Amino acid sequence: MTTQQQSGQEQQQAVGHVEMSLRQDGRARMASNTQAFLRNHAPFNKMQPDALQRFAEKAQIVFYAAGSEIVGPDSGKVRYFYLIESGKVQARQAGEVTVTEYSILSLGAGESFPIGAVTAGRPSTNVYTAVEDTFCYQLPAEDFLALLTSSPEFNLFCTRYIASLLDQSRRQLQLQFSQRASEQQTLNSPLAGIGSRSPVTVSPETPLRAALETMSKAGVGSLVVAGDDRKAVGVFTRSDLLDRVVLADLPLTAPVSQAMSPSPFMLEEHATAYDAMFAMATHGIRHVLVTDAEGKLTGVVSERDLFSLQRVGLRQIRQAIDGASDVAALQQAAADVRQLSFNMLAQGVGAEQLTQFISALNDALTRRVIQLNLENHNFDGIEWAWLAFGSEGRDEQTFSTDQDNGIVFQVPEGASVEDLKKRFLAYALDVNNDLDRCGFPLCKGNIMASNPQWCLTLEEWKDQFSNWIRMPQPDALLNATIFFDFRALYGKSELADAMRRHLLAQTASNPMFLRAMAKNALDVEPPLGKIRDFLTDLEPGHPGKIDLKKYGSRIFVDVARIYAMASGVHNTNSIQRLRLAAQRLSIRSDEINAVLEGLNFIQLLRLQHQYLEGEPGTQGDNLIDPDTLNELDRRILKESFRQARKIQTRLKLDYQVQ
Amino acid sequence: MLGLKKFLFRGSAPASLPGDVRASLDVWRDSTSPSLTDLHFHTRYVVVDIVSSGPNPDSDQLLGIAASSVWKGAIQPDDTFYVDFSTLDGEGAAVDRQLTAFLLFAAKAPLVTYHIPYVGGFLQRALKERLGVDFQPQWVDLAWLLPSMFEDKGDSVMPLDHWIDVFGLDAGTGRRDAMANTLLLARIFQMLMVRAVGKQIDTAAQLIDESRASSFLRRTH
Repeated sequence: MTTQQQSGQEQQQAVGHVEMSLRQDGRARMASNTQAFLRNHAPFNKMQPDALQRFAEKAQIVFYAAGSEIVGPDSGKVRYFYLIESGKVQARQAGEVTVTEYSILSLGAGESFPIGAVTAGRPSTNVYTAVEDTFCYQLPAEDFLALLTSSPEFNLFCTRYIASLLDQSRRQLQLQFSQRASEQQTLNSPLAGIGSRSPVTVSPETPLRAALETMSKAGVGSLVVAGDDRKAVGVFTRSDLLDRVVLADLPLTAPVSQAMSPSPFMLEEHATAYDAMFAMATHGIRHVLVTDAEGKLTGVVSERDLFSLQRVGLRQIRQAIDGASDVAALQQAAADVRQLSFNMLAQGVGAEQLTQFISALNDALTRRVIQLNLENHNFDGIEWAWLAFGSEGRDEQTFSTDQDNGIVFQVPEGASVEDLKKRFLAYALDVNNDLDRCGFPLCKGNIMASNPQWCLTLEEWKDQFSNWIRMPQPDALLNATIFFDFRALYGKSELADAMRRHLLAQTASNPMFLRAMAKNALDVEPPLGKIRDFLTDLEPGHPGKIDLKKYGSRIFVDVARIYAMASGVHNTNSIQRLRLAAQRLSIRSDEINAVLEGLNFIQLLRLQHQYLEGEPGTQGDNLIDPDTLNELDRRILKESFRQARKIQTRLKLDYQVQ
Repeated sequence: MLGLKKFLFRGSAPASLPGDVRASLDVWRDSTSPSLTDLHFHTRYVVVDIVSSGPNPDSDQLLGIAASSVWKGAIQPDDTFYVDFSTLDGEGAAVDRQLTAFLLFAAKAPLVTYHIPYVGGFLQRALKERLGVDFQPQWVDLAWLLPSMFEDKGDSVMPLDHWIDVFGLDAGTGRRDAMANTLLLARIFQMLMVRAVGKQIDTAAQLIDESRASSFLRRTH
């Protein structure tokens, strides 16, 4: 190379530098032009100047003539985030199944799309078509993702948008269920629209004869007893006639108030059918009175109103359970619980209520098994309680949950611990086997009351807890995740309360224990891939699948337990734990709500999977193949896992776990 | 073909120019012109507008150039150019470099503008006088092409503001700077390309022909 050529190259660079700087000037001018538009539209008007500048410097301008498709499922992985500058764009659901509540949505200037798909780096589920001549700013996906991490305002905007999708998807899931079920009535509808609006009423002073004549004339089986102020004081039914009039030798001249069932269960009009159903299941009642805000009677909802179209009634199940005289009868009731749970899932009951509901009925079932076996085992004069652990202890049972139980008892003075324990173990073995026959499989880890390890006196339980807390070895921590979620299912619940007080006092004085729990809880991470959406090869033997319990709900449950113990929350239910702990630890409510939505979505997917995939009569699993989910569910599952990662990160910071 | 190119971009840089400018002009002259037979989507069009001290290219001064490419269907912020000569009072070498930089930026791409006699006139005079370049690019003139493509929206050469109105574009309020004008032209050009494809005008070569024909027909009828 000659000196002349060399200097020529250098000289040429001088013009090259000028060109580069004039290109920068051009870009800056175009960006300020774009910014003038952005400043008039949310969320850009709230973004920091440097983030806005970055958006403007990368946003290309594109034109779509009316009728042309902008992006759709067939265009492959979404490459741009679009912001409409002018014109109109229509979003239409592709495919047969609608995954959001709208099927056609019109977008105008200042609105953007497809936020979910571009965030997930996947094809769009919607077809976006320009319905008018439309100009859009298009931001390349990599610049969009960079902006998500650098601009909190933009991130919040997109997160909120996706959160609203979460909610929509939940409702949509339920819609798909209800198409399968025959029952269309929704349990979320307010009581104001259900049942009788003009219940037959008499005053408390009405003589029994007149009351019975009223019933006969109206052709009803029950009466509401209410004063002149229309406030209900009791209910009188045909079964009261037998028990409280005929058999009690009450004269027909006596006022109805003497024979009625007093303090009837009442709900306000805005309560939902679900609330009424839950009250009936919990209290074993047949009617719920409906009142206005002032407590004045406006209607009556009967079990028949709620389940008129349903094959299995709630009270029938309760009655079947409570009246069951042997395991065979309870087996039928257990099958009915499953059917009813599915119907409720179909009717739009959320995962939180549904798991509680399943737990409530399973509780009743378990209690009946415990009672039936007491006929062969006598513990009179002994204080004891049957304990539920794990998901049953947390009121979070899904359709397939195996047994996790134990016994706590107090030894009366002078009695032998060993003798008493032998009697309880023999009793527990019978209960465990009966529960197995009713569809609660025996615990593989032998966490059952028939195991001498988990049939302990109150003092032994306290010592056990103290040992785990003082020496947080791996197996102690594992036990803590199961046994610290306990509640009394039958017997003297004060014993369980004493265990809880002891537990919380111990954890409060051993900060190292919670730290060890935190470290343990961080061992498993949500299955989010760096390149792929999901890691599906974590479970040997199940390639392509994700264990939604192990890598999903358990993460939330573990974090909830630690925060509950740290803030002295007595509840065992994870959602309640997180809500209450969040209040005490001043975690922002929108933050915790997003976390709870994530947990609820994963639980709902588990329930759906267990019902739809499970072979009748076999235990469903928690293994799902994310490729079989529709696009939006996959997207939301990813967001739910992100929420799991978010609370894990918080835990990591709070407990300084490396 | 090579002979034609020599003819279009003939001449050599005046000896008075700085060495770096002359070297760059040589590079520009030797560069190959982009193909004009690709589809619009694959063709890099450069939309250009200028600022001048008055309307007459023969006597008034060129004060600035704003240009932006339309490529792969989009106006690309990474491929824009803006120069303001008015700040460089009398610094001849700097102006020469900037004009050369514009040639390098345009890279012999077809130029899109509104009213060639005005924009082209100023550019040609400046490039000739300062750099000794006879600037004969491939032009697409929206002023003539729009009424021929959008007969339904206007049938004669009209001020740009008419088309901005017709297409419902937001031109902002007050005086527009050259870049804002260029971006409006670029948007109009995007709309025009869709219309052109509808008329089987699929390549730059066809569009340039159409532009020439429309101005010829209108001027002579």
